[in-house]
Amino acid sequence: MLDHCSISHKGGVVLWSRSFTPAASHTAASSASPVNSLVREALIEGRSSDGKYEKDGYAVKWTFVNDLELIFVVAYQRILQLTYVEDLLNALKTLFIKLFQPFLTTFVASLHVTTTVKLSASADTHSSWNFAKAFDGWDAVFDKLLRGLEDKAAQERRTRSGHVIRPMVEVTPPEEDINIVPSQSSDNVLDEEQIARNVQALKNRLRGRGGPPGRRGRGRADVGNGRDSLPGSDSETPSKSKRKAKAQRKWGDEAPTESDMASLDFSYDSSTSDSHIAPPVDLSALVDNGSLGTRTQDGLYEVRDWEFAQSQGGKSADDVIAEVLKKSGQEPPKPSSGSLGALGSIFARLTGSKVLTEEDLKPVLEAMKQHLMKKNVAKEISDKICEDVGQSLVGKKVGGFQTTNSAVRQALANSITRILTPKTSTDLLLSIRTKLSAPVAASQQRQPYSITFVGVNGVGKSTNLSKVCFWLIQNGFRVLIAACDTFRSGAVEQLRVHVRNLGMLGVDGATNSKGRVELYERGYGKDAAGIAKEAISYARDNDFDVVLIDTAGRMQDNEPLMRALAKLVATNNPDKIIFVGEALVGNEAVDQLTKFDRALRDFSAASGGQERGIDGMLVTKWDTVDDKVGAALSMTYVTGQPIIFVGCGQTYTDLRQLRVGNVVQAILSD
Amino acid sequence: MEEYSADTSKRPEPEVLSPTSALNSQLLPIAAVLLAVLLVAVFALLVRKKSSKRGDAVILAGCSDAGKTAILTTLAYQQTLPTHASMQTNAALVALPSSRKTLRVVDVPGHPRIRDQFQEHLPQAKALAFVVDASTVSRNGAAVAEHLHMIMHALTSLPPSRSTPSLLIVAHKCDLLKGTANASAEQLAINRVRTILERELEKRRSTHANGVAVEGLGAEDAESEIGGLECTGNGEFKFAEWEGGEVAFIGTSVSVGKAAQVVTEKHSEKDGLSSLREWLEELA
Repeated sequence: MLDHCSISHKGGVVLWSRSFTPAASHTAASSASPVNSLVREALIEGRSSDGKYEKDGYAVKWTFVNDLELIFVVAYQRILQLTYVEDLLNALKTLFIKLFQPFLTTFVASLHVTTTVKLSASADTHSSWNFAKAFDGWDAVFDKLLRGLEDKAAQERRTRSGHVIRPMVEVTPPEEDINIVPSQSSDNVLDEEQIARNVQALKNRLRGRGGPPGRRGRGRADVGNGRDSLPGSDSETPSKSKRKAKAQRKWGDEAPTESDMASLDFSYDSSTSDSHIAPPVDLSALVDNGSLGTRTQDGLYEVRDWEFAQSQGGKSADDVIAEVLKKSGQEPPKPSSGSLGALGSIFARLTGSKVLTEEDLKPVLEAMKQHLMKKNVAKEISDKICEDVGQSLVGKKVGGFQTTNSAVRQALANSITRILTPKTSTDLLLSIRTKLSAPVAASQQRQPYSITFVGVNGVGKSTNLSKVCFWLIQNGFRVLIAACDTFRSGAVEQLRVHVRNLGMLGVDGATNSKGRVELYERGYGKDAAGIAKEAISYARDNDFDVVLIDTAGRMQDNEPLMRALAKLVATNNPDKIIFVGEALVGNEAVDQLTKFDRALRDFSAASGGQERGIDGMLVTKWDTVDDKVGAALSMTYVTGQPIIFVGCGQTYTDLRQLRVGNVVQAILSD
Repeated sequence: MEEYSADTSKRPEPEVLSPTSALNSQLLPIAAVLLAVLLVAVFALLVRKKSSKRGDAVILAGCSDAGKTAILTTLAYQQTLPTHASMQTNAALVALPSSRKTLRVVDVPGHPRIRDQFQEHLPQAKALAFVVDASTVSRNGAAVAEHLHMIMHALTSLPPSRSTPSLLIVAHKCDLLKGTANASAEQLAINRVRTILERELEKRRSTHANGVAVEGLGAEDAESEIGGLECTGNGEFKFAEWEGGEVAFIGTSVSVGKAAQVVTEKHSEKDGLSSLREWLEELA
C-alpha cells in the first residue's frame, strides 16, 4: 500500500529508505523523488503547516524529531485512504530513536563540527562509519510494525462494515406490508437520526401505496433512485453500495442527519449553555487606559485629540507611573507559583540541556502571533508561520544564555527571511536583455518583452506602470504602453498624460525622450485581449523593446472579469504577469492573491494555453505604512513569488527594490 | 574587625589606626583595578577560545542538486550515502591521509531561499569550492551564473585585512558525460562549464555595468551595485582575467552507494574525487 518510506537528516543525508514498488524506487533515486520535492517545495518554503503535501499522484506525510534533526517521510498513492500512516510515523519515530540513539547522536555531532581538531587516528575514521551495519535489524522491525498496523486497519474496516448492516435490517419491515408501522427492537436507541429515518420510511411507504401494483413497482423504482437512505426491501445491498458510491447530493427534502444538525447549530456551546457564561474576554486588551478620553461637566464622554508630534513616545509621567505600578502588581504572583521551576530551568539552560516543550513555546508563540498581527500581517499567515516555527523548535535543545524568547525570535527571523527571499531571479533588466538578444529566425522579427499589470481597483497600477516605464527608458529601452483598460473613464487619458510627461523628461543629456515611449490605445469599450495582441504586433513591427500592458482593476471574485483577464494572458502569453497590491491591505491580501492566482491558473489552462500564474508582485503605497509592513510577508507567503518592486510615492523616481533584511527588521522590531 | 571596633571605642588614639586606614584606602582601588583586569583577561580568553581560528574551513556551495552533500559524505565517511535536498548546513571533518592533516568542510544548502547561509561561514573560510552539475549546466546556466555571481561578489567585498579565500569550480557528475578520443570526460565537463559560465557571467556583467538600477529601500546601506565581476584586459569576463583571484577548475564524480576506495599513502587509487582530494591537500 505504501510506496516509499525514508528516514533522513535535515542536512540532506538519507539514513534509511525503502521503496515498495519498482517505479517508486526508480523515482526515489532521482531528483524528482517525493522526499526531495517535499523538502524543496514544502519544508524549505515554510508552507507545510497544514500537514499534507501532494505531488504527482503521491500523498506525502512526514514528521520531525528536532533534537536529532531527523525527518521521517512516508509517501503513498493519493487515491488511497490509508488511516494508519500517522500511527506508523509516530511508531517509527519512537522506535528508531530508542534503538539507535547513541549512533545518531554521534552522527549528528559529526555534521556540526565547529572547530578543526585533529582526528585521533586515520584508522578509526573509516571503520567507524559503517552505516549499513549500524541500521541492520531495522528492516525486520519496520516490516513487523507495518504488518501489524495493516492488519489492524483491515480488522477495523471489517468490524465497521459489520456494524452498518444491522440497524438497516431492523428498521425496515417488508415492502408489501404497508399497514405495519415500523417497529423498533427494544434495545435500539431512539436518537434523532433514527426518528428522521423512520419518518422518511413511513412517507415512502405511504407514497408507494397509492397506485395499482404494476405502477407500484415503477413507483418504487422512482422512489429508489434519488434517495440514498431508502429503507427498501433489499436492505443489505444499499448499505454496501451506499458506502462505496460517492455521497449523493442532498436536495434538502430529506430529514437532516445528526451531523448536519450539529454543524448547523450556531447557538452557544452546549457545554456552557446551562451556566450561561460568555467565553472569557481579556478586558485589559480591549481598552488602553492611557488613551481614554475625557468627561465633560455635562457627563458627556469626549474622545481624545490626535497628537501628531508626540504620538510616538509622548506618554505623560502619570501614565508611565500607572503602567509600572500595574506591572509590578502582577509580578509577585509569578515567582511564587513557579519559583523552583524558574530556577531549575535557568540551571538547565546554563548547563546546556534545556529542551523546549510545547508548554514553554505556547505563550511565546502566542505573543509573537499578536506582534505579527499588529504589524499588519494577515491572521491566517501569522497563525501558520507561528505554527511552523513551533513545530521546528519542539524538542530542540536550548543552551547557554539563550532564553526561550530569544530562541523563538531567532527561529522566527530565519523563517521570515526564508519566506521573503526570492527563489527566482528578480533581475528584470537581465531577463529583458536575455530575451532581446536571443537569436531569432531569419524570417521572423524579434518579439518584444511584455509585462502585464493586474490587480484590484485603485491600487496604483497605472501610476506604477509609468514609474517602471521611466526606469526602462533610463536604461535605454524603447517602451510601448498598451492601454488595455477600456472600462474606466479617463484611463486612456491618464496614460496619455504619463506618456507626455515621460517624453519631456530627457535621458543621458538628451532634451527629451520623444522616440522612446509611445502609447497604443484604441479607445473604450473594446476587447482588452485584442488590443494587447495588436499592441504587441505593432511593437514588433516598429522595433520597440518592451510592451507594458495596463489592465482594468477587477475584484477577485468577479468570475467573468477574471475569465477575461485569463483570456488576455492566454492569447498574448506575456513574459511577466505582475500583481499590483497595496501595502495597506490587511487580511484581504490573502483572499485577493489566492483568488487571482487560482483564477489565472485555472482559466488560462482551460483556454488551451499553458498554465500561467502570477510571476511577481509590486507593492504600492509603501510610504503610507512606516514599519507595519506585514502585507509584504502575507503576499509572498501566499504566492511564493518575489516582490519585484516597491512603490513609495507619486513621482516617477519613487520606485525601490525590496531589501529583505530591512523588512525582517521592521516586522520584528517593537 | 577588632581594629575597627577598637577604633570606635578608643577615640583619643587615632594615630595608631591612620596608617592602616591609609593603607586600606590605597589598597582598595588597586585591588579593584586588579580584579577588573583579571576579569577582562578571563573574558577575553573565553571569547577567543570560542571563536575558531580564522581561515581553516572549506565551503562547498552550489545550486540545488549539484551533489555537494554527496561529496561531503564521500570525503568524511569514505562512502557515498544517498542524499536529498539539504535544509541546513553540514560541517564535517575530513582527514587527508597523505598529508595527515584534517580540514573542516562546510556544506551549505543550495536552495535559493537559504543559500545565503554561506555568508556566515565566509569569515572562517580558507577556500570555497563551487560545485556545478556538468550534465545539466547547459539548461540552467543562468541560475548557476546568478549564484556564482553572488558568491564572487561576496568574495570581492571581504575587507582587505583578511586574505581572500581561493575559489575552485568543481564540474561534478562527469560520469554522466561521455568522453571522446581526444578529451576525457573530465576535460569535456570542465570546458563546458567554463564556457557556459563565462558567457552567462559576461551577460550579467554588461547588464549591470550599463544599466541604471533601482535603489533599494532604506538608502543608508547603499549596496545597490552588485559588482564582483571586474576583469583586467578589455573588460569582457574571463575567469583567467578575474580580478578577484585565481580560479581553478577540476572535474569529479561520485557514485551513490559504493564505498569509495580508501586513499592511503601506499596505493593511491583513482576514484572520482581524487582531483578534489589533491586540491585539498595543496590547500592544507
